[in-house]
Amino acid sequence: MEKKWDFETLLIHGGLEPGPAGATTVPIVQSSAFAYDSADALEDVFRGRRPGQVYTRIGNPTTESLEKRLTLLEDGIAGIVTASGMAAISTAVLTILRSGDEILSSSSVFGGTFSLFRDTLSSYGIGVRFVDPTDLKAVREGVGERTRLLFVETIGNPKMDVPDIAALAEIAREAKIPLMLDATVTTPWMARGKDLGADLVVHSTSKFINGSGSAIGGAIIDLGRFDWGGEKYPHFAPFVKKFGRFAFTARARKLVHKDLGACAAPMNSFLLAEGIETLALRMERHCSSALRLASFLREHPKVRWVNYPGLPDSPFQDIASRQFGGRYGALLTFGLPDKEAAFRFINALRLARNLANIGDAKTLVIHPASTICCDYTPEEKALMGVTEELVRVSVGIEAPGDIVGDFAQALEQV
Amino acid sequence: MTLTVNGKPAAIDGKVELNVTELLSVLKVEQPDYVTVELNGEILERDNFPATVVRDGDAVEFLYFMGGGR
Repeated sequence: MEKKWDFETLLIHGGLEPGPAGATTVPIVQSSAFAYDSADALEDVFRGRRPGQVYTRIGNPTTESLEKRLTLLEDGIAGIVTASGMAAISTAVLTILRSGDEILSSSSVFGGTFSLFRDTLSSYGIGVRFVDPTDLKAVREGVGERTRLLFVETIGNPKMDVPDIAALAEIAREAKIPLMLDATVTTPWMARGKDLGADLVVHSTSKFINGSGSAIGGAIIDLGRFDWGGEKYPHFAPFVKKFGRFAFTARARKLVHKDLGACAAPMNSFLLAEGIETLALRMERHCSSALRLASFLREHPKVRWVNYPGLPDSPFQDIASRQFGGRYGALLTFGLPDKEAAFRFINALRLARNLANIGDAKTLVIHPASTICCDYTPEEKALMGVTEELVRVSVGIEAPGDIVGDFAQALEQV
Repeated sequence: MTLTVNGKPAAIDGKVELNVTELLSVLKVEQPDYVTVELNGEILERDNFPATVVRDGDAVEFLYFMGGGR
């Protein structure tokens, strides 16, 4: 029945069961473990004969409610909510890959993901090959014998490149590997991964899904499209046999998610479930204000360049328009003459906050080269599209005139 | 008819046979969209639930990927 509701309705009601005493919000079940009346009943849950919660690291009613809602919003078959977006990526990737396998990843992924793939996973024998996701020939040629996953962001953060996701999905299909999409910056409101041809979607729910910078979280949504019975995934065989199309989520839940322990706190799941109710309204404003700010910056004499897929002269305007229904998101980057100018600009802002986050109701800025990407070499920064003069903006939902006014007065001081 | 459900006898009054979709409903199996059904040791394809008939003496196991252990 819930499947018939429109997206905006699912944001509020999807997966929500009536709470105790008629409560209309998701109850915060702040309990580490869950008791059963008999030893037989608990055995049944452990053996998987009946569904049930046993321990919050493995599952929790508050978190499960959010999992159901996110799964409905993505039109997936199952979801796992995790402690953070990086926990979601780590869990999803380690569910699929084993030592000796390789990830084919977009080179313009978020710095944390870049580090996970290049540094952390390589210590355990999982390789990575980075390619420009907008160069389909390079992606096709990047698929090797050991490649077991294609990973891409819907809009590169902070490079702001927009890959043709349907074309990438086709390459993945031909290679018989899954396409995992990090849809943090677009959210299912701008595009559902399933409609673009992805097999799995991951989110940092800390961003737009939360919407107010009050909780860290992540999610993995299984879209149920990929055949895990293929010869490249022999480790999935027992899960395919037992759980069919749920093989990915079963392997994640019964092994990796349970064993790594990167579970969501019930309080955070509650805050995320509160936040998501207003996602559509917030995203509309984020997108319209970002376009307005990008257009203002584009015309400003002190601004060298602006990178926003919604601008008519953006090389990604066409593909972004097609993929995201004429919506272009809250993120933009722009260039000042140099690092010193970027610092002077940030220091002069009165409204926008200087911090390492995106997707807040508040307008946020950061100088990525000296902060979130400071550990990378100039070559790696170039791959990620990070230069010394670049400022990243996550446009908030304050009065649009106040945002533009703040940037105007700060630019006067550059 | 009497089945063995998850290792225990389960009597279903007034029925000689049921298909698996009906069985899930009669037994009020929780979260039927997610359950794996094993009939006499064989795991059933979800698409075959409506066409698969359960009769007296059959052994049925339900299996979920959520929950506690492996």
